[in-house]
Amino acid sequence: MNTDKNIELHIPSVMGYEKIAMECAASMAKKMGFTEDRIEDLKTAVAEACLNAIEHGNKMDTSSKVGITLTAEESRLQVSVKDEGKGIDKIPTPSIENKIKGEDKPRGWGIFLIKSLVNEVTFEARPEGGNVTKMVIYLEK
Amino acid sequence: MNKDIQVSISNKDDVSILNIKGDVTAITGETLEEAYQKVSTAGAKKILLYFDKDGYINSGGIAILIGIASESRKKEQRIRITGLSSHFQKIFDMVGLTKYTEIIPTEELALKDF
Repeated sequence: MNTDKNIELHIPSVMGYEKIAMECAASMAKKMGFTEDRIEDLKTAVAEACLNAIEHGNKMDTSSKVGITLTAEESRLQVSVKDEGKGIDKIPTPSIENKIKGEDKPRGWGIFLIKSLVNEVTFEARPEGGNVTKMVIYLEK
Repeated sequence: MNKDIQVSISNKDDVSILNIKGDVTAITGETLEEAYQKVSTAGAKKILLYFDKDGYINSGGIAILIGIASESRKKEQRIRITGLSSHFQKIFDMVGLTKYTEIIPTEELALKDF
């Protein structure tokens, strides 16, 4: 029996709309029994993935959408964030020391935060075009 | 003026307090930056950033705070932070902001021995 549960939503490529995806992911995680701390981690990761999709993937083109798919399995929740862009360049690990010294721009923390907050993450180009960030958090008993 | 953030300025002895309500993001960050510049221009050496524990902070907002921390070092200012939820205290620590600012549990403690 397939016990996966899927939810899909699309948001405009407008900063601020990531909050809708955050709340949707939080509701699903709460329903599954994740702790409050883990839900907050997931919300931040989903926000950052959506912001990357909006700003870097879709270049804030309001005619492009960001697609979010939530897949609940027995002991894990997967959140995929898709954009219609051309892919992201390799992002070096940010260094706050360099940013404080003014040697790097202050921005660039999104991928670092995603990697730090979820159990698994992949960044892939989609065969049909665009990128997908897949994040997984484990439900710990 | 961005309706997603409100920043008010108050003073307690020689400490300038920025009371931050709402979202701290790349879009709203300009409001926070302007408030910081205002107290900085007035000569503040001790600045308390008082966050809203229910507020939303994203990586764009963190970049604004890093910019403020960077400038404060050049101006020999001390920055303390209070009001953050435990989640964002963790985030600030992850990115390393706690190396350049102090996170204090309450406003009262933040103002003490500043």
